[in-house]
Amino acid sequence: MPPVLEVKNVKKTYRMGKVTVPALRGVSFDAEEGEFLTIFGPSGSGKSTLLHLMGGLDRPDEGEIFVDGSNILKLSDDSLAKLRLTRIGFVFQFFNLLPRLTALGNVELPVVLADVSEKEASEKAKEMLRFVGLETRINHKPSELSGGEQQRVAIARALVNNPKIVLADEPTGNLDTKIGGEIVQLMKELNKEKEQTFVVITHDVTMAENADRIIYLKDGLIEDVKEASRKNE
Amino acid sequence: MMKTRNMVGMAWENLKKRKLRTSLTTLGVIIGITTIIGLASLGEGLRHDVNQRLQQGFELDVLIVIPGSFASGLRGFGFHQGDVANITTIQNVTLVTPMITLPTADVTKVTNNEKLGAFTVGAINFTEMQGMLPQRFRLLSGGHFPNATEKYSMVLGNKAATLSNAVIAGVGDNVTLSMRVTINYPNYTYTYTYQKNYTITGILAEGGTSGLTNFDYWAFIPLQTAEQISGIGENFQIILAKITDPKVYDDVSNAIESKFPQYSITVFVPSSFVRQVDNILNLITIFLLAVASISLLVAGVGIMNIMTVSVMERTREIGILKAIGARSRTVLSMFLTETILIGLMGGIIGILSGYGLSYVLAYGLSGLMQFQQQNPNPQGSETQGITITPIFSPEWTIIALLFAILVCVIFGLYPARKAAKLDPVQALRYE
Repeated sequence: MPPVLEVKNVKKTYRMGKVTVPALRGVSFDAEEGEFLTIFGPSGSGKSTLLHLMGGLDRPDEGEIFVDGSNILKLSDDSLAKLRLTRIGFVFQFFNLLPRLTALGNVELPVVLADVSEKEASEKAKEMLRFVGLETRINHKPSELSGGEQQRVAIARALVNNPKIVLADEPTGNLDTKIGGEIVQLMKELNKEKEQTFVVITHDVTMAENADRIIYLKDGLIEDVKEASRKNE
Repeated sequence: MMKTRNMVGMAWENLKKRKLRTSLTTLGVIIGITTIIGLASLGEGLRHDVNQRLQQGFELDVLIVIPGSFASGLRGFGFHQGDVANITTIQNVTLVTPMITLPTADVTKVTNNEKLGAFTVGAINFTEMQGMLPQRFRLLSGGHFPNATEKYSMVLGNKAATLSNAVIAGVGDNVTLSMRVTINYPNYTYTYTYQKNYTITGILAEGGTSGLTNFDYWAFIPLQTAEQISGIGENFQIILAKITDPKVYDDVSNAIESKFPQYSITVFVPSSFVRQVDNILNLITIFLLAVASISLLVAGVGIMNIMTVSVMERTREIGILKAIGARSRTVLSMFLTETILIGLMGGIIGILSGYGLSYVLAYGLSGLMQFQQQNPNPQGSETQGITITPIFSPEWTIIALLFAILVCVIFGLYPARKAAKLDPVQALRYE
């Protein structure tokens, strides 16, 4: 089976005024379907840049990225938006929920954007919220939810359109250890149940320990790749 | 693409979340549309009222030919039967009738010597006049127009038979017509007083409105009788020409003018006059609307300002929307839908309050007119106070609503495009 995500020699340089900052200096790796992959590295190692590129939010200067077989460099802006809507789910460190929408509204949004009727969207969103254990909190706004609950809503939103890949940017970075651990467990469960590929950027050791594979990123280059012993347990 | 219903629902939610801001922005549109609709419906009402009065005051298919021109001070010769015959030959002219006016004449009642309210005495062919002005030459019941044998008969205008609102003369009463007549001979002039008793055979129905052909204060005697008065003779001051259609007035009036030496006559064309007045009123309305439209443009700038601020504030939200798969066009539509909703709300409320405003203005104007009329014209002329009824015009309503939406779209486009063009990575980093 071909890998669901292929990153081939990706380079990206940011220009800030006269200073050029090389964020990625040639990164290549694949992710298999159903794999739980973490990209581990210190801040400034290019993790977030890599995630943005994989999610089609930004374009690399060099190299190619294939998501579910399509070269995202060759997609138009609209097709890229559609790819993000249907094949990719994002989970962010700061949750990035829309503050004026309820938990349900936030989870419904990607379904509504995919041109599904409001009723169907609502059903799908409710089911997803039940899955992440928030069935009693669906009408609460983000400000009325705890950090852990907000991240669960964000995970539900990322998964509601049943994407191929879930990209998470430090999902536990803004949570305490206990709640963070719960979120890690939830993501693991979802990964097992739905067989979606998870690519998680983290410097949380618990998260890394739970992964099938850890890619160590430093100064825009892959320093090391470690297969987890637990993978075939 | 998102379903329109969802889009509108979402835009509505966004507007509702910022109630104060939304209502203030909408208020700008409301004020603009209120002014436009208020002035438009008032203008239409005024135009309708003035037009109606003019049409009541003037028969649009009757041209009035008078000797002399404004350049020569309207002092000229009189027309003769030959001139009447000449005009009759013109194409599209169906009826021509002359009139002699006797402005110095007095009409007094024989029994008590009371002077009647008649200002002007005219000598006319009654049969032709009925054909010329069928609306105006209607008798009150009990009277008749004099026949050929009733030489010394008189028909009074409605108000001419009254004095201070009291009827002082009626059908069958005898009145004395007296006037000074001057005869010009080559070397000298001779003046004498004409005095003759006439019998009233009919009273005209009320004309009502002002106008050139309002005969309420006139008295009429048969044309032939006047022609036989020494010193008066066949000397017509007015010729009336009826045309087939008010639209051909231009051709006919040119044709009449060509029958006479240049600048020696004046053809008064009521329909061109009415049209001129209509054009002027139209121009005034358009001018007022143009001024009112400025307020809507100001509202548009307000919308642009608020939406630009809103886009800045919602940068992160836009980033999130794009990250989860919203297309640029979807983001654009979201913001445009918000401005369109503002335009729609402002438009509808503005239209309603605009009609309200027009009634308030109409009421105020009518009050002002009545106040001015407390000093009645000593001549007792027949100008009624103008009571404007604003006219609800579906055209203006639709135009105003579309204009409101158009302004909102135009001014909302810049901020919406700004939102759509945001780079998702940058937008997500925005604090």
